[in-house]
Amino acid sequence: MLNTKSDLAKYSFTIEAAKYVRSLGLNFDDLGSPAYFQILDRAEKRVEEAILHGIVSGAWHNDDIEILSFPVSMILVKAAGESFLKRRYALAEAKRAYGLLKFENKEKLLAVAMGTFNWRIKSLVTTIPQIYDFAMHFADFLRNAPVFHEDKWKLVNRVMIGGEIYLSKEEVARLLQEEVQKHIQSKLEGEKEVDLPIPIRQRVERLGQLLLKHKEEIRVEELPRGITSVAFPPCVKHLYDVSIAGQHIPHVGRFALTSFLLNAGMSVDGIVKLFSTLSDFNEKMTRYQVEHIAGKRGSGTKYTSPNCDTLRTHGLCPGPNEICRGIRHPLTYYRRKLKTIKLEVGKAREQKRGRWVYST
Amino acid sequence: MQAPNIQPPSAIERREFGFILFKERMMMRHKSFRNPVDLQQYLVITAPSDTYFSAAYYDRPEESMENKGWIGADLIFDIDADHIETNCKIEHDLWVCQSCGTLGKGHQPASCPKCGAQKFEERSWLCETCLEAAKRETLKLIDILQSDFGFSDNDISVCFSGHRGYHVHIESQAVRTLDQLARKEIVDYVMGTGLNPRLHGLDERGLKKHQIVIGPDLYDPGWRGRIARGVYDFLVNIESEQFKTAHDLRKPVVDTLIEHKDLILEAWRKRAPWDAVKGLGIKTWEKVVARAITRQAVNIDTVVTTDTHRLIRLPKTLHGKTGLKATEISVKQLESFDPLSEAVAFKTGMLTVNVVEAHQFRIGNEVYGPYKEQVLELPTAAAMLLLCKKVAYIVR
Repeated sequence: MLNTKSDLAKYSFTIEAAKYVRSLGLNFDDLGSPAYFQILDRAEKRVEEAILHGIVSGAWHNDDIEILSFPVSMILVKAAGESFLKRRYALAEAKRAYGLLKFENKEKLLAVAMGTFNWRIKSLVTTIPQIYDFAMHFADFLRNAPVFHEDKWKLVNRVMIGGEIYLSKEEVARLLQEEVQKHIQSKLEGEKEVDLPIPIRQRVERLGQLLLKHKEEIRVEELPRGITSVAFPPCVKHLYDVSIAGQHIPHVGRFALTSFLLNAGMSVDGIVKLFSTLSDFNEKMTRYQVEHIAGKRGSGTKYTSPNCDTLRTHGLCPGPNEICRGIRHPLTYYRRKLKTIKLEVGKAREQKRGRWVYST
Repeated sequence: MQAPNIQPPSAIERREFGFILFKERMMMRHKSFRNPVDLQQYLVITAPSDTYFSAAYYDRPEESMENKGWIGADLIFDIDADHIETNCKIEHDLWVCQSCGTLGKGHQPASCPKCGAQKFEERSWLCETCLEAAKRETLKLIDILQSDFGFSDNDISVCFSGHRGYHVHIESQAVRTLDQLARKEIVDYVMGTGLNPRLHGLDERGLKKHQIVIGPDLYDPGWRGRIARGVYDFLVNIESEQFKTAHDLRKPVVDTLIEHKDLILEAWRKRAPWDAVKGLGIKTWEKVVARAITRQAVNIDTVVTTDTHRLIRLPKTLHGKTGLKATEISVKQLESFDPLSEAVAFKTGMLTVNVVEAHQFRIGNEVYGPYKEQVLELPTAAAMLLLCKKVAYIVR
C-alpha cells in the first residue's frame, strides 16, 4: 500500500496520488493565483531538471507541493507541445522513480507494480538461490524488457517456471522505470489544455526557450545522400550482394535490405532498380512494396530497419565482425563506419596537400 | 462437402478471413463474417481450395490493412517438416527448374546448376518420417509452453495442418496484446536463440589454476535442465559421425570427451559432471552447450509467430496440396495421433487415375505404390492425394 503522503510525493504518477490530487478539489483556473506559486515553481523546476540533466531530482521539502507539482508539470510539458520534450520528461521522471524504488522494501514495489500497472507479480518468501525477490508473469516482463539489450534481459536467459519469471528487486525496479516512462509518455500524448492562465503560459514559454537552447547542443548527424556500400555491415552487405547478383532473397531479407537502404538515404527508384535483377521481379509490385516501406503508401508509417537482434532471430546475421561489437543496429554500424571512412578520406586529402592534421 | 462441419474460430466477427479459389489460384483476403452461418454459406457457395482466418482480432476486419484497427492477436506457432532436417528428404523431395526443366532431389538449390535460373517448382512428398519429425517437434514445443510458460491444456490448441506440419494456437488474454518485439523474445526462447549458458549457472569458481566449472543439473527447470539434458544426450551420442564432425569443436577436444565420456556421465549421477575431467574448461563447455541445445530447441517458422497479422488455416477445412483435412487434436492425444488416417476427409468411393510417378505412401492402414505410369482405380483419399500432388490426372 502507498499510504503515506511521502509515498505519494515519491510516486506522484500512481493512481493513489492522482486520487489524492482529485480529492483536494483544486480548480484548474486558480493555478494562476499567488497561492499556487510554490507548486508552479516546483513544477517548472521538474521540467527544467529533465531538460538540463535528464533526471528529476528526488529531494523535496513539502509533500503536498511535490505531489501537486507533478500534474502541473504534465500540463507544462503538454503545453510546450514538443514531442522531444515529452520523451525526455517521461524518461527523467521514470529515472527518478527507479532511483527511489531501488531502495524501497518489497511491499512498496508491489504496491506500484500491481496498483498502477496491474502487473501479475508476487513477492517470494523463501527465495530460491537467494538472488530472487519476485516472480512475475512473463507477459508483463515482455511488455518492458525487450528494449534492454543486455543478455540477462533476454527471455531465453531467464529462469521461467510455470509462466513466472524470477527477478531481483533491482531488476523489478528497472522494469518499473520502463513502465513509468511509457505511462507518463502516453498521458502526455493526450489533448493539451486550452486557455492557460498567464503565469503558466509564461513558464511554458521559458521552458520552450530553455529547450531550444539545449537542443542545439545535441548534434544530429545526418547521413549523406549518396550510399556507400563499403560502409555496409556484413548482414546488409550480404543481402545487397545477393540481390545485385540476382539471386533469391527471402521476404524478411528483402524487407531488412529495403528498410535499411531507405533509412540510409537511398531513393525508391534506386532500390527498385536494385531488385530488377531478381528472377521474380515485377516492377509495379516492387515499387508498391518499396513505397509502402518508405511510408509513401498505406498508413504513412516509414519503417525503421530491423535491429541486430531481429536479424539474428530470422537467421539473417552472418556473424559479427570487429565493428559489430557493442552495436545493436545495422544503421549504427553504417554511421560509425561512414565516419571512419570520412576521416580517412579527409586525412588522405590533407596529406596530399602536404599537411597532417591530428583531428578526431 | 466441408461446410457443415467446419469449426468457426472464437470471436468470428473480429477475424479476417482469406480464401484461395480453385480456378483463380489467388488469395482473396479482407473478408469478414458476423456469424458462423454466414461463413458456412460462403464456403458452400464459393467452395475454396484453402480457407484461412487471422490470428488477429480487429475492429474492422474487412478494411484494408492499415484501417483494420488491430486489437490483439493469438499467439501462434507453425512447425513444418520443411524446417526440420530429415534424411529422407533427399529421397522424396524434388525440384524442377521452371526455365529449363532440370530436375533435382532434396531441397531446391539457390540457382539451377544448368541454366542459373532461380525459380523452381517444389514437389515435396507426404512422408511418414517427416510427419513424425514434425510431431516430435510439436511435442517439444508443448512441453516448453506448459512447463516454462505455464499454459494449460485449455489454452493450447494443436492442429495438423493437412500437409507437412502442425499449428499450435494459444488463445489467452494474457498474451493477446503482446507486440512483435515481445513475440520475437518468445521465438528466441523456444529456439534457444541468444542463450547465454553463463546466465544459466555455467560458471567458474575458485582462484586461477584451481578453478572448477559448475553448471546446471538434469532436473533443473526451464533452459537450465534443457542445457544439462542436452549435454548428457550429446555425450551419449558423441561417437556418432554427426557429432565427431562438429566444426566448432576441435578434434582433440572431441577425443578427450570421448575418452572420458563414461567418467563424466557417471559424475552426473553425483551432480558434479562439469569438472569431472581436468583440461575441460568453461570455454569448451560453452561450445558443447551450444551444440547440445540445438537438439533441445524447437524448430519453428520464426516469421509466423512474430507476425501479428498472420492468416492461418481454418481447422476442419481441406489442404489444397493433399486433400487432407486440417485436424484439431487435443494435447493429450497428439502423441498417438496418426495424420494419415485421422485427417482423411474423403472416406468413401473410388477414382480412376493415371499416375505419372509416385513414391510409396500410406492412407489409413493401406500402403500404396510406388507407381510409375499406371492407370489405377484407387480409394478417393489416395487418388486425391496424388491429384493434389500433381503426379496423377483423372481418367475420363
